[in-house]
Amino acid sequence: MDSLNVSPYGVQAIQVLTVLLGAPLVSGVIAQVEGRLQGRRGPRILQPYYDIAKYFSKETLVSNDSSWVFLVGPIVAFSCYLTVPLLIPVLTTFPLPLGFSGDILGGGFILALAGFSVALSGAESGAPYAQLGSSRAMTFGALIEPTILFVIFAVALITHTDLPYALSATIRSSTSQMVRPSHVFAAAAFFLVVLVDTGRIPVETHSGTLEFGMIDEARTLEHSGPALGLLKWGSTMKQLILYTILINVFLAPWGLASTGKWSSVLLAVTALLGKAMLLGMVFAFIDNLFSKLRLFKITEFIASAFLLAVLSVLVFYVGGG
Amino acid sequence: MAPSTYDGVAAVLALLVLLTEFAMLRAPLLRSQVRLYAFQSFVVTGLATYVAASKHIDELYALASLSLVLKVVIVPSLIVRLLRDADTDLAGSSVLGVASSILIALVVAAFGFFAVGSLHVSSSSLPTSSLAISCAIVLVAFVLIILRSDVVSQAIGFFSLENGVSVASLVVATRLPLIVDIAFLFDLLVAVVVFGVIMRVHHARNATLSTSDFDRLRG
Repeated sequence: MDSLNVSPYGVQAIQVLTVLLGAPLVSGVIAQVEGRLQGRRGPRILQPYYDIAKYFSKETLVSNDSSWVFLVGPIVAFSCYLTVPLLIPVLTTFPLPLGFSGDILGGGFILALAGFSVALSGAESGAPYAQLGSSRAMTFGALIEPTILFVIFAVALITHTDLPYALSATIRSSTSQMVRPSHVFAAAAFFLVVLVDTGRIPVETHSGTLEFGMIDEARTLEHSGPALGLLKWGSTMKQLILYTILINVFLAPWGLASTGKWSSVLLAVTALLGKAMLLGMVFAFIDNLFSKLRLFKITEFIASAFLLAVLSVLVFYVGGG
Repeated sequence: MAPSTYDGVAAVLALLVLLTEFAMLRAPLLRSQVRLYAFQSFVVTGLATYVAASKHIDELYALASLSLVLKVVIVPSLIVRLLRDADTDLAGSSVLGVASSILIALVVAAFGFFAVGSLHVSSSSLPTSSLAISCAIVLVAFVLIILRSDVVSQAIGFFSLENGVSVASLVVATRLPLIVDIAFLFDLLVAVVVFGVIMRVHHARNATLSTSDFDRLRG
């Protein structure tokens, strides 16, 4: 083996490190762009790192009413977010050794486990708002689930597998794959799913402090210290993971490393973070265009995402689209 | 196997027309429904132009430009002017909630998809799925007409039904003589006049645009 090459396991480790270390940066860029769009100067790009460092130097306060679940939840969630980058095409076009240990459903299960453990830990806090957040997060999570399933159906119909690497390779293979209606609509539906799952504006104000509109944000109200740091870091990682799936599997699977050379892997890391920041700017722009939906209007938003996903499957059956 | 790039783009355009139909079902304001209708007509025009350009059918250019003028500009601006004159309950009235009406329309659209898809009509100009999509557009337009109880939504439902028929005619009769197409557009114009008169008379008599007053058998 050439000394310039990284071993496949090494690349896999770099994938996890990219998500781990790059996620706060992407969040920082989005916050900065959002500030600019709103006519503010916005926080520093590196602010999320400082925040996380600050949380890790603080003490953890635990309510008398809560149990060990309250403390374990953030750790389980964080390790879930560390696992998912092993399964999805983050940096390479070729599948890595552990890439086949789980398909899209497997990745979805792990992300769901992370959401579940954070919600459980919020429910265990004994505080009303954290429990409200957990309950809402689980409700809307259940409502968006059929859409995710239909997107997975569409992917499975197009590629005859449910491996993210396979769809990524299919999209790269020709333009006709890129414009076929079932792919276009599945990608649009997944875009809306990302909007819901990252708690962006039509669904939730991610930086708001008003409890009545909170969904995901409210779950972590009772946490403090390193646990809160893990939760914040985890949510930036979840955002980058979803962006990565959207970019590298659906929208623009280009700029990935096709060999294990150091240079191409490093280029792929830069390309991924650049693409994620561009996508983040799109989301920040959407944030600026729309107002938050009322809580009971969110079902309408989810219904439209479901509509897109179902149409993508239907058109595949009727016209081979 | 993936369909060719041409087929893919055409089917995406046709699906966009269907999606606009769903958006009309969701739009609460009558004015936004009119805007959606203009957008839908624009997409249909775009589809016709795309077919004309790819298959070198010059007559379709004439049809596309005619329907651009008529359906994107004239008809919507006429309805908006009528709405401005009426100046009353601008928020539409759906019998059902948004999520449930979308689900119903989805079921109906799926029925249309598979009913037409099983006919295996093949066309040289557009992919087979477009015919199924146009049938779904027509059926969802019917759902819109049934679920909304105001004159404007029902008129818009009828006009957008015509858009669905236009897509269908692009699939099965691409090389239709221009005079027949113009006759269709003329029909649309007549419908606009008739609906305009109904809206005016209904509003003048009952001071509302809702059709729920139609069940009283008094002049």
